[in-house]
Amino acid sequence: MTPSTEKTIERKFIFEFSAQTSNETYQFEVPIHIPFVGNINELSQRLITLFKVPVYIEKDLEAELKLFVEQETLSYLDNIAVDAIKRGQNGEVDVEEIIKNFERLFKEETAEYAAPRGSTDEELFATVYHKLVHSPALEAMLQVEHAYSIVVNEMTTQRDDELAALTERQGKEMSHLVSGIGDFSTEAEVNSLAARHCEDQNMVQAKINSQIDSLQETQRREYREWLMKLLEEQAEEASSVTPPTPSPTHIVRHITTEVSSKEKKKSSSDAKADVPSNPSMEESFTIHLGSQMKQMHNIRIMSADVLHLCKTHLSANGVKHMQPQRLQTALALYSNDLCGLVLLTDGLISSYSGTTKEFINVCQQSTEFHFPPIDDQLEKIREGVKETASWRQEHWGSENLSLSGQQWRRASSAGALRTGDVYVTRHSNLNEVHVVFHMVIDDSLRSSDMNSRHPAILGLRNVLKMACSNDVTTLTVPLLLAHHMTEEMTVAWCAKRAELVLKCVKGFMIEMASWGGSELKNLQFVVPEGISDEVFVSLAAMLPSVFRVSNPLVFKASSAPITPKTA
Amino acid sequence: MEPRFAGMTFFATSHAGDVCGTNGLPLTPNSITIYGRSQILRTFSHPNLCMYLDIIRGKHERTMIVSEFYAQSLASVQDSISVPGIVKICHQTLKALSFINSFEIVHRCLAPDNILFDAQGNVKLFNYGLYFMTGKGADVSFPIGNPRYMAPEVFLVDSQIASSPKVDIWSLGIILAEQALGLGQVWSELKLAQLMRKVLSLINCNSDTSVFSRIAREHSCWTKYENLPQSLVHLINSCLQLNPSDRPTPKELLQFSIFKEYTLDDIQIGKFDRPDTLFENIHPLNSLPLQELYYLWRLAGGDVQSELKKQGLIRTMPPILSVPRLVLLEGSVLGKRRDQTSLLDLKIIPLSLDSLRNRLAPVPFSAYYPLIETKSDILNEEEECDAATLPLIIRERDTEYQFRRVVLFRRLLEGYPHTKASIVREARQDIPPLYRGRVWAALLEVEGDFESFYVETDKETPNHTDRQIEVDIPRCHQYDELLSSREGHRKFKRVLKAWVERNPQYVYWQGLDSLCAPFIYLNFNNEALAFACLSAFIPKYLHRFFLKDNSAVIREYLAKFTHIIAFHDPELSNHLQEIGFIPELFAIPWFLTMFSQVDIERCLSDSVAFYCCTPRSTTYRQHERCPGKISQKNKPYHPDLEMSAQSVAELQAESCPRISGADLLDLLDSSKFPRPKVLVVDVRNPELFHLGTAPGSINIPHSRFDLTQESPPLPACPEANILLQNRGKILVVAGQGDSPHAVQVAQVLLRNGLPKVCVLNRGIDVLQLANLLTKPTSS
Repeated sequence: MTPSTEKTIERKFIFEFSAQTSNETYQFEVPIHIPFVGNINELSQRLITLFKVPVYIEKDLEAELKLFVEQETLSYLDNIAVDAIKRGQNGEVDVEEIIKNFERLFKEETAEYAAPRGSTDEELFATVYHKLVHSPALEAMLQVEHAYSIVVNEMTTQRDDELAALTERQGKEMSHLVSGIGDFSTEAEVNSLAARHCEDQNMVQAKINSQIDSLQETQRREYREWLMKLLEEQAEEASSVTPPTPSPTHIVRHITTEVSSKEKKKSSSDAKADVPSNPSMEESFTIHLGSQMKQMHNIRIMSADVLHLCKTHLSANGVKHMQPQRLQTALALYSNDLCGLVLLTDGLISSYSGTTKEFINVCQQSTEFHFPPIDDQLEKIREGVKETASWRQEHWGSENLSLSGQQWRRASSAGALRTGDVYVTRHSNLNEVHVVFHMVIDDSLRSSDMNSRHPAILGLRNVLKMACSNDVTTLTVPLLLAHHMTEEMTVAWCAKRAELVLKCVKGFMIEMASWGGSELKNLQFVVPEGISDEVFVSLAAMLPSVFRVSNPLVFKASSAPITPKTA
Repeated sequence: MEPRFAGMTFFATSHAGDVCGTNGLPLTPNSITIYGRSQILRTFSHPNLCMYLDIIRGKHERTMIVSEFYAQSLASVQDSISVPGIVKICHQTLKALSFINSFEIVHRCLAPDNILFDAQGNVKLFNYGLYFMTGKGADVSFPIGNPRYMAPEVFLVDSQIASSPKVDIWSLGIILAEQALGLGQVWSELKLAQLMRKVLSLINCNSDTSVFSRIAREHSCWTKYENLPQSLVHLINSCLQLNPSDRPTPKELLQFSIFKEYTLDDIQIGKFDRPDTLFENIHPLNSLPLQELYYLWRLAGGDVQSELKKQGLIRTMPPILSVPRLVLLEGSVLGKRRDQTSLLDLKIIPLSLDSLRNRLAPVPFSAYYPLIETKSDILNEEEECDAATLPLIIRERDTEYQFRRVVLFRRLLEGYPHTKASIVREARQDIPPLYRGRVWAALLEVEGDFESFYVETDKETPNHTDRQIEVDIPRCHQYDELLSSREGHRKFKRVLKAWVERNPQYVYWQGLDSLCAPFIYLNFNNEALAFACLSAFIPKYLHRFFLKDNSAVIREYLAKFTHIIAFHDPELSNHLQEIGFIPELFAIPWFLTMFSQVDIERCLSDSVAFYCCTPRSTTYRQHERCPGKISQKNKPYHPDLEMSAQSVAELQAESCPRISGADLLDLLDSSKFPRPKVLVVDVRNPELFHLGTAPGSINIPHSRFDLTQESPPLPACPEANILLQNRGKILVVAGQGDSPHAVQVAQVLLRNGLPKVCVLNRGIDVLQLANLLTKPTSS
């Protein structure tokens, strides 16, 4: 490919005509850009008006102009082509390079030349799962999943119990030793004990963790194998009339009995802790967006712990009381209606703290049957972040986002993520969520003066765009861009923040409507649990004022107005 | 029935990250640009082109194309083709290419699988719009063209520069060479890179050996080459000229003498005369124009997207498998897996017509040719379709009903303007959406050479309205993909500018674009017709609304609007009056845009009802287009019987509209209205009343009303009871000449909630002109 030559050239069109009454000839000339854009007939009409020339030349002028433009365009294109060919002939351009480029294009973009590629394991399993989950096998599958997760949960609880016990014992030992310093112990002994304790802790943790890992690995393998078998059985069932083999049920029974026996032992101990905490307050609306292109969305505001959407709640009497949301989540996993959640995190991707750490724990409560375990996913992202650093360096100059230098500098070392960056993890074992958008935030969010150009808001826009282009049709957003109440979050602060987020999200949603992706059906705003009733009510009241609520106005001509149900 | 059309699909490139256009608005998605640009292809009708029937936008920038289709292609012809056959293919392909070239369209992916044959063995060029509709490939990520047939310069020239019509000639040359040498495919054993290397190596070809002879030698068919007629070799050699300036254009090639050497019409290519085709051809559905067939196919449940899905062309990976891993603040996305299903796959999926055929099986043959001008005794009067009595929304979706309407309207439109009266009559029932654009044009009485008129109109020269138009168009009409496309914006601008140019007395007011929108939408491929419709529409409904200073017109209009509210809905009128909510505050955009922002369906049916029960003269405006038809036959005519202009101040001072003497006489005509629809309230003194008054009138002298009160009640008298008993009739308050009493009394009646109150213009005296004053019957 040659560097692009000038896009248009100018050519002079000269037209000559004679007066009908004398032998005099007249001529006029006009510059015309080649390639010509527009309508030649219209141009010739304009020329007639412009030069005040007689109308009888109309046909001649049109024909000549048409011919002129046609020939000039052809010779313009010919010249470019001849030039390009010459450059190819004398080696000015590297023909091999061109071939390579085209080959890449054809191979990457067309099915005809793309390397034949079978379905990946992931796609295959997706098809199998999606098929089975929409078959009568659904119930059995969910029960197996549930039973599996109870076993994992057992083990993590056991780990935590054991560690707690160990810590307690070590504490006693230590305090005993410390109290005897100079008496029956030395500092060196204390130090070595501390070191030993630490080692013990790690050892116990590592031991159980590896047990959990191997358990999850086994579960994952077993489960996938079982599903494959199930599918085969279903296929056989469909083709012949042989009675189904009893294998799926026996697995379930096997597991459930095992579980229930274990459960009995501990049932009384922490039954209370397991009671799921529902959102304490919530309110929902149906709204219309867009002044011309109206779209309907459901909007909900609720006060809850964000992780509530993630935790699968194992009640004491486990198997029987599986949460109905799990069913919904499983059915939609490979559909075009995904559920997403925006989780706020700090930019440190090597060590986790706060909500992110809790979230990882929640993920590990049960086995991930579909996607890589959370650790592996995060590891992949860490690799991606390195790429990011080099990408950013390259594009540093072309930065045109109006972010203050300060904000950029805050994201210190290369390789770290910046405020507003988002990394994404996928999950099949969470309660109501398939896709989690981890948005990086920093302390600047605590301030009350935040505007719509803040990176976190732009990050939110990216999240909405991603949702739109990846069929995430239910999205939960922390309304105050915070997961916990802190002291600077006064009533005024909350109102201001909520208004900013609502208005921006509304703007983004209107913008999204023209992107041609999937539209957001349900938008949920979550506020921290500890919020006061009054503040919640005032925030909830803000929703219908920012978004236009679609309450149909029912009226009938010539009769008394009908008001919806007067109490 | 054989499928007559087929679908194919591809993806447009989606815009990356945060990009905005020069106007600061977000960029239009590429699929919308493609959608708008490709509309013109649907107008192409040429014997050697497959017709484009529809372009559909799917989710995530998918575009689907529906096009006329034939199962037989040059790639699928098994037998070798005779020399005359090759010449025929060449000739017809050139005619098709030359036709599209005249619209500045280049095929760019000419290959044997894009050369189809109809049942008679004529060339039907396929997929010729891909390069054009994708903005010369700019809106898609895949390369356009088949590398085997691509001209060398296509590889070498910057892809941003348009390809010349001559690149198709090269492709044609290779195709002809294949056929002439009897090769299935040139260089069939070469892999992609080798193939391109081969094509590009030709540029270093020695100039005295032709490309054609090289191909012949390389494929060891030299003897065959030598035996070819010289004229054919010359033709192919001309096509395969390396240097584009030596290569002729399709138009030039058509002049070659070889095309005169053979009689090309009766040459058969491939085997077409299967026995069933004979039978198929007479299926009456095949007599319909293809657009109608496609329209009906969709009504009969045809859905392109689901059909493509069923045939495996649209496969989708579950979205959760391709979610990206990382999205940076700047909007760049990392770790998104390329969905293999989004690659270009130009497979063609024929769309079966069976369900449509079954759906229309009960329709008799005669329904395909309805009688319009004559009646027949033999053919029984067309049995109405079941759906005919159902609501419009159902009729518009009923296949059989639409079939009958479409056939009827096509025939009527073919006869326009001779059939104007029939079109108006039928349009009253309903208009088939397929032909709405042309039917509306007929209703607006657009005729004559509107195309030339439009061409002559200057739409280019900048003027002062440009800026406003430029601002209004992109931000409005987002609701529709056609109107929000770049091509749509261009058409808006041109039509509006043409209108301003042609109506120097008027200016562009906001709202004009809303009026323009339906005409552009309906006549997207015929700007001149859209313009002609707009030009006919505005004077008809919005006469003088777009004057630079339109306040006189608008204020009069709004004052009349207030009167009409008072006439039909006194309760509303009184309420608005009470809260001081004058129409200037809310109604101007309604009228300037002809209610384009409201539920027009409802609006229309209501206004028809209101129109029928409103005496014409009560809506009289001096700024109306033509003050009604004056000379009605057999009617007494006198200027005093007609309405006369009132100033806006006068109009605003009166709460009720005035009615003309002529209209009152009409309403009093007992032969027309055996049950009187009108009651005249004579407010003169009893003495004058007894001398003579309107037939059937009652007398309530104005002195009986206590006009000093703020809201005077009706006087307590038997006549007032008569008034209340006659609630719903048109109450004409008549006084002495133009004395203010009648106006005052009318206002009292209105304030007391009586509907349809109006004042007799020029008073009771006008009835004398018609000798209608009678002595009141004593009660």
